Amino acid sequence: MAELEVDNLSLRFGGLTVLDGVSFAVEAAELFALIGPNGAGKTSAFNCMSRIYPGTGRIRFRGRDISHLSPRAVARLGIARTFQHVELFAHMSVLDNIMTGRHPRLSTNPLQQMLFLPAVRREEVRHREAVERIIEFVELEGVRHAHAGALPFGIQKIVGLARALALEPRLLLLDEPSAGLTRDERDDLARFILRIKHELKLPIVWIEHDMQMVADLADRIHVLNNGRTLATGSPMQVLNNPEVVAAYLGVRPTGATG
Amino acid sequence: MSRQPRASGYFRTGYAQDLKLVQTRAERASLALLGAVLLAFPFLASPFLLDLANQVFLASIGALALMLLTGYAGQISLGHAGLMAAGAFTVGILFRETQAPFWITLPAAAAVGAVLGVVFGLPSLRLRGLYLAVSTLALHFLVVYLGGEYEAKRGFSTGILIDPPVLAGMAITSGHAWYGILGTAAVATLLLCLNLLRSGTGRAWAAVRANETVAAALGIGVAGHKLLAFVISSALTALAGALFAYHRGFVSVEAFSLFLSIQYVAMIIIGGMGSLLGAILGAVFVTLFPYGIEVALRALPGAQRYAGTLFAVNYAAFGFVMILFLVLEPLGLVGIWRRVQTYFLLWPFKHRPLAGRRR
Repeated sequence: MAELEVDNLSLRFGGLTVLDGVSFAVEAAELFALIGPNGAGKTSAFNCMSRIYPGTGRIRFRGRDISHLSPRAVARLGIARTFQHVELFAHMSVLDNIMTGRHPRLSTNPLQQMLFLPAVRREEVRHREAVERIIEFVELEGVRHAHAGALPFGIQKIVGLARALALEPRLLLLDEPSAGLTRDERDDLARFILRIKHELKLPIVWIEHDMQMVADLADRIHVLNNGRTLATGSPMQVLNNPEVVAAYLGVRPTGATG
Repeated sequence: MSRQPRASGYFRTGYAQDLKLVQTRAERASLALLGAVLLAFPFLASPFLLDLANQVFLASIGALALMLLTGYAGQISLGHAGLMAAGAFTVGILFRETQAPFWITLPAAAAVGAVLGVVFGLPSLRLRGLYLAVSTLALHFLVVYLGGEYEAKRGFSTGILIDPPVLAGMAITSGHAWYGILGTAAVATLLLCLNLLRSGTGRAWAAVRANETVAAALGIGVAGHKLLAFVISSALTALAGALFAYHRGFVSVEAFSLFLSIQYVAMIIIGGMGSLLGAILGAVFVTLFPYGIEVALRALPGAQRYAGTLFAVNYAAFGFVMILFLVLEPLGLVGIWRRVQTYFLLWPFKHRPLAGRRR
């Protein structure tokens, strides 16, 4: 059984059809790339999966229908995501940002926290240890006390990834993690993504515009165009598909000379 | 909570140390000094100064409660005076009708505050910013109206008299006893707020304040945490109102005008939004300000001639100071304090903090 099954997902804003009958399935520990030109509906598909947008159709996570859950319930099931524009809590430290990602794992109530009972102290230390492991994993040791908003964009993106990992997710949704990153930062990111796949064995749905990166790393690629599925399959198949090339790069009108 | 730069040479060896509220020897020393000053104050101060200190403690509780709600959870409320009135009237009504002692009336006031907090907070699930402020304002008038009706119907039209609370067989009337009680209450409130802010609730509030959609996607209950902020803040505010009623020995709706709400908003703005220290500094400033103006006017030549205008001058000066803070020092008194602190910490080097940086 697939980890994530999206079945006939559609989304409409008034007269605008954003997603039209999109279906795909992501297997265990699979790096599943979602690509397509701007406005194809990739981020909208993510927002449907994390239940921020109300799509129609069925989304199943480990066999369980999540189409009617709240965003909070989806996160609590272990579906973590990053955002295209990072969306860190700018006035909080990197550490607190990542700690916030662990919120669903906290078990003490506000009354206990008000008095900072020993249970709360133990819990804070335990989660801090978990957060430190993630900080080590994504190599953010140097900036853990820095204000998230004051960091360069590339580091903020990694902090966003760390915040998603802090949930100890069972499915990771990455929304254009490489956009705005330098060459070096992209190399680091690729390394982190592969480590997440191989060491944490997480299934990942990955929206990406860097075709070189997608071709190198992804197990399978799903192409969206104008809200519809254009192609799906291995990187070689998909990237050589003439329709995909036409939608993405455009083709020279036949007969034209250059 | 992130921290100010520290002098070097202090290293932590465990994550539990990072959770401590007081970490370095210098911090412990200055805290001990502050504690000693606070303990010595009632023995040295005149009754007038003692009463001022008691007013500051009461205002601090209210300002801390509002800071939790507005400065941390990001919810605006203009109903603060209404909640104080609710706490004060709970004490007044329970005392008048049932002669209940303080250990019943105070928890009752907190409970009434908590319930009103849910009611005040419900609009926050749909409304934001100015619209939320106006809806809390409506509830303020509702509470004050009900209090006024009670006064009128039961024949207390000049206000409800309350006997001083009796603790261990002794009626608490002296300024010294009140100093101890209100001071303890203010310190307890501060600790409570600090604890909430250094644990999951505080982080969830900050997340909800920054971006509700992202908070929800991280698995944080947005509606629940907004209501929680209203409930905790309102219970604390009602408690402050109840203590205020006992301290004055008198409850009347006139004490809870809209101007009181505005004064509390002014405290957290002047003190510095998003800082508990700011709430306390703001409470000190706003409470002492009118007395400062009075002293200043008295010092002018021909003081008698201005005596009649004192009230008007007070309002105008208050407004002027508010504008000065909003324009010149949006980080408030706490911003000034941190700049001074950083200056000495980094001396002889200079450091210009980035504009708009805050913690």
